[in-house]
Amino acid sequence: MIVLFERIGSFFEIVFSLASDPLTLAILFGSVVLGIIFGAMPGLTSTLGVALLTALTYSMDTPIAMVCLLAIYVGGTYGGSYASILINIPGTAAAAATAMDGYPLACRGEGGRAIGLTTTASAIGTAVSMLFVVSISPIISTFALQFTSFEFFLLAFFGILISGTLTSPDLVIKGWIAGFLGLFLACIGRDQLQFFPRFTYGIPELESGIEVVPVLIGAFGIPQIIGVLKDKFQIKKTQRLQRIIPEIGTVLKNIPAIVRSALIGVGIGAVPGIGEDIAGWVSYGTAKNTSKHPETFGKGELQGVIASETANNACVGGAMIPLLNLGIPGSPPAAMLLGALMLHGVTPGPMITFEHPTFILEVAAILLLASAAMWIAGMVLAKQVVKVLKIPTQIFMPVIGMLCIIGSYSLGLNIFNLYLMLPVGIICYFLTEMGYPIAPLVIGVILGPMADENIRRALMVSQGSFMPVFTRPVSFILFLIIVWTIASQLPWYKRKMARIKHVLTAKK
Amino acid sequence: MKTGRHRLMPAKNNTLVGENIYGIIKDNAVMMDKNKLRTADIFSGGLIFFIGTYIVSQALQMPMKDSWGGVQNVWYVSPAIFPLFIGAMIMLLGGLLVRTAVKEVGIIAVKKVGTYLVSSDFLEFLKQANNIRFYAIVTALLSFVFIWVSRTDFFLAAILFLIVSISMFHLDDSRLLVKLFFVYLAGILTFILFLVSGLNAFLSDHTAYPGDWLTLVFILLFAGYALGVCRGNSPLMKKLRTSFIVAFLSPILIGMIFKYLLLVPMPFEGMVVELMDFIWYY
Repeated sequence: MIVLFERIGSFFEIVFSLASDPLTLAILFGSVVLGIIFGAMPGLTSTLGVALLTALTYSMDTPIAMVCLLAIYVGGTYGGSYASILINIPGTAAAAATAMDGYPLACRGEGGRAIGLTTTASAIGTAVSMLFVVSISPIISTFALQFTSFEFFLLAFFGILISGTLTSPDLVIKGWIAGFLGLFLACIGRDQLQFFPRFTYGIPELESGIEVVPVLIGAFGIPQIIGVLKDKFQIKKTQRLQRIIPEIGTVLKNIPAIVRSALIGVGIGAVPGIGEDIAGWVSYGTAKNTSKHPETFGKGELQGVIASETANNACVGGAMIPLLNLGIPGSPPAAMLLGALMLHGVTPGPMITFEHPTFILEVAAILLLASAAMWIAGMVLAKQVVKVLKIPTQIFMPVIGMLCIIGSYSLGLNIFNLYLMLPVGIICYFLTEMGYPIAPLVIGVILGPMADENIRRALMVSQGSFMPVFTRPVSFILFLIIVWTIASQLPWYKRKMARIKHVLTAKK
Repeated sequence: MKTGRHRLMPAKNNTLVGENIYGIIKDNAVMMDKNKLRTADIFSGGLIFFIGTYIVSQALQMPMKDSWGGVQNVWYVSPAIFPLFIGAMIMLLGGLLVRTAVKEVGIIAVKKVGTYLVSSDFLEFLKQANNIRFYAIVTALLSFVFIWVSRTDFFLAAILFLIVSISMFHLDDSRLLVKLFFVYLAGILTFILFLVSGLNAFLSDHTAYPGDWLTLVFILLFAGYALGVCRGNSPLMKKLRTSFIVAFLSPILIGMIFKYLLLVPMPFEGMVVELMDFIWYY
């Protein structure tokens, strides 16, 4: 109990120290507003925002860089709702579900009301997720300290499989292929145990392996630039915005829905590699299924907008839980954050509480302040921010391309980063066109070294035996989950489950 | 769950809806339609199977039980173990993808693709407006990275990239896009000839930054040509003016942030950087 009070005390100490520094506050607000603009502009995402800011914050101190990156992540996730509500085109994939009810509301002249409520719901969602980061992290961290190499290998493998399963827009098998291609990219360079050169083809720049952040910038940025310019994407006329400040009564009435959506967001965010978009849709679906009037969904139902926006912002904190405690990113922007953290010499994982004792609390404090900054910025600047929707995508996409290029170069002052980033981006464009998801590929690139090193280390300890997988409880549970994840995609399993469901419903 | 503007991924294979990789939802789907997709899967699956085979073959050449760096290997610490596992999985999944696709559309689909590739329809497809836009943006990106960035002043390279790509797309006219694209291709060709002919090396001995001067001339020629083709059309002229302003100001602003605030040296520092250094440090 004393430890808990001490922890809460340290947390508020960090919050006050951050909030009392004018420079930090200015950076926080600036990054949140930048994130909102990024999120609001169709074609730009919070992942890309984090990617580009990674380059800009490279030379900053780690705490300030974290303020920038987390604030743009929070702002970017929320900013997507502007375009969803006002022009029926989600600014980010995370806000896709918001458009279902947001746009009908805007057409009825309630766009301002919808934005006011989503701003409040998003701020509450982020704050709730922050509570989970603070409270659950020590438990997971302590639990993860018991992990040995087998557990870490299985965890990395599970992360890639589940990310491939849930993010694939077409066949699940394509998600898995993307994950394994990411693992292959991670193999390039000298291996970490014996320094044997693998797939380097005598190119000196490949000896130390591929640089993660330029690959991430390429994988997320270039397909977006090509896709938007190729498909001649046009922005429609924006709906008018009226009063934004939400009515307290409506907010209070929707508190149960907000809390439920926040919990869904945190839960989905904590699953490796699953992003805010899925959190938004699952929460929207749950709100619809549990509503007394599901027929009003899709026609301008406030609960629909609140559900998706709360969940996608709560997902930010959820994604931080596996990232900070296990070193496994919970979403694509979290993958970018992991790359940025590694550049700043912070290696997330179970040891983070020993190496950087206050780091998790600092992240939680930044999330809390970012949610407050987001609410204030949303209320004050919404009418100004929506003006960015009038900027044609054909103008800002090439500028983003240039930013991707100078950003990738600046991360190591290496032209080779560009030679890597652009082909990876073009290949990722073709992969997305053919229904391969990019998130598992990126997760594969990040988790590859962890999987490689740990499987070999584990086998070294066990003298080549795989028996510890079955004798160690955590390993065995992870193994069973992996087997179930694979088996659940097999046709005979699906047939069997359908038959069981049929029998059960027939009995009723 | 489908509305006018929303195309959500079918829940047939996934219990959850999928992602939209551009962060935007478009009328025409992000991916191809299902039949085309399955046909493409036969080829992409085959390619992935081949990549898997290649990874396995390369991994088999890595030390398994031999000595490396004075250390006698055992199979389970071999650097080959992980690539072997990945390669085998990629082979397996690639093969499964081909099998799934063939089961759905039949092997006849491959034959149809063969026929299509030699037909005039394929040529028409290559000439479609959205494909030309694809060639234009990919060419602009590739040339910026592989030709200009490492050989000419960053600011000039960036201005050229932006002036070309913003003008081509912002004017929103397919006919003009093709014209501007060909002018840009001519510029690329000229620059490559300038490099491979040895003219660059020769002129470098006599004058400073010959590549930068050539790029500057090309920027002016491109801008002049764009103004020429838009003359008399005030909406186009307005768009072109906006393109020029953004193309000029963005690299200056962004480049200055990186160069003077973040202290990142530019990939190639030529005449503009020299001029800016003079102004900044004066």
